[in-house]
Amino acid sequence: MGAMVGFFGFSYQFRWSVLWQAPHGQWLLNGLLMTLKLTAVSWVFAVFLGILFGTLRTVPFRPLRMVASAYVEFFRNVPLLVWLFFWYFGAPEVLPESVRQWAIHHGMEYWSAVAGISIYHGARMSEVIRAGIQAIPKTQLESGIATGLSVSQAYRLIVIPIALRLIVPPATNESLNLLKNSSLAMTIGVGELTFATRQIETYTAKAFEAFTAGTLIYLVLCLGIAYVMNRVERKFAIPGLIARTERAEH
Amino acid sequence: MKRFCIFLFGGMLLLSLAGIVGAATTLEKIKRTGVFTVGTRTGSPPFGYINKQNEWVGFSIDLARLINQNLEKKLGQPIKFELKESTPATRIPLLTSMAVDLIAGTMTDTRARRESIDFSLTFFGTGAQFLVKKGSTFKGVENIAGKRIGTQQGATNERALRERYPQANLVVFPDQPSGFTALTQGKVDAYTNDGIQLWGLKYKAPNPNDWVVVGEWYTYEPYGMAMRKNESDFRLAVDGTLMEAIEAGDYFKIYDKWFGPKSEVPYPMSPEVKRFLMMQVVPK
Repeated sequence: MGAMVGFFGFSYQFRWSVLWQAPHGQWLLNGLLMTLKLTAVSWVFAVFLGILFGTLRTVPFRPLRMVASAYVEFFRNVPLLVWLFFWYFGAPEVLPESVRQWAIHHGMEYWSAVAGISIYHGARMSEVIRAGIQAIPKTQLESGIATGLSVSQAYRLIVIPIALRLIVPPATNESLNLLKNSSLAMTIGVGELTFATRQIETYTAKAFEAFTAGTLIYLVLCLGIAYVMNRVERKFAIPGLIARTERAEH
Repeated sequence: MKRFCIFLFGGMLLLSLAGIVGAATTLEKIKRTGVFTVGTRTGSPPFGYINKQNEWVGFSIDLARLINQNLEKKLGQPIKFELKESTPATRIPLLTSMAVDLIAGTMTDTRARRESIDFSLTFFGTGAQFLVKKGSTFKGVENIAGKRIGTQQGATNERALRERYPQANLVVFPDQPSGFTALTQGKVDAYTNDGIQLWGLKYKAPNPNDWVVVGEWYTYEPYGMAMRKNESDFRLAVDGTLMEAIEAGDYFKIYDKWFGPKSEVPYPMSPEVKRFLMMQVVPK
């Protein structure tokens, strides 16, 4: 690699050791842990919001559907970066002073990031879940009600369990998007992985090594999650309900 | 498909060979393209910032314009003066990737940085301090333990605090405007940067009297203009311009424009600093 670089006349000196020598290695590790923490917590909230509003968009009560539509359209049509600035620089200003001071000293950067990411991705996730629910024949819901279940029971016991198994591929896609979007949190002071790679780069001027590390780590994380979700999809697939490329196992 | 791939590969090889032939020094590049690109700040008054008339102006920008004039004389052709935004985190990559030819903003000359890039003469001297709200009890590094300090990613003061005062709680922002906003909203107890930049922020704020610059200089920050390594001719052009400006007085006229008594950020030059600047001018 160095020879090739020398041949082309560049004068860049590679020094891969910057990635693991202290304190840079520690920063990278801390950044990775923060990314994982941010992603995990935001994901839980996003899935919860997604199931809640995705379901509400399909129920037979118009006011609930309108509330859910308003949530989805409002939150997914504004760039996430703008939302992060709103939740960190905008929203806290309307809190009472004592609450704000308490929040400032208890990780406001982190929780603003969680709020921004989970609400935005909740809106996107709800569309995915809505698609899953609407892919189920209406007859399922009707027969559920015909057997005496209430609407909410029918949703909880029949519709949603099937819908969740149908939407594993797009849900995986949205979850990976959430992981990657966690990198935006660095703009409001959260020390996650992208922040850490930039930190290494500004301290050592070894841009190539620093950003390669970030790229590889994100790649490994995303591929890992995709692999796990692939196994989940195959394990929970409903035979006969979706087109499959191999024969369904029994 | 196979023939297309061969053509593509051959084309790429040719292009890369052209790249080797085209690998030029900075002066050759400026002469060939007719453009002198300077990386500077957009949020650091009065060195590089957008003023009320929406113009991109500043002390460092005016000095860079002098260099442009000198380059025109030296290369014997008109050279277009172009500005590009650079922040502490992006300025070295912009330079090494040849996106800019010179960084003229608020970059501190340090020995560690000199391993990757070269610096011109020192054109300004300051030190890191803190900006706080009026009435704050924060007075400097003595009572920094546990306080939330806003800082910019990649700045020398961030590194100094991290290494020498780890008891401080650093909140790192990508640029100066975010850090200052966090200070105005009370999200950080103090915002740290080079003293002169804090004075700039103070005077540009809606209510300058609400802000106080406190603390002794806890770092020494000599500002230099940054350029790529191994460019002796270009470096001579830059240093020559600065020396001439100091000698002939143009530098002090520009200094008066931005830091003089009638300016927006009055910052009188001490006799030691004036002497230091003049002693940097070597005889012709």
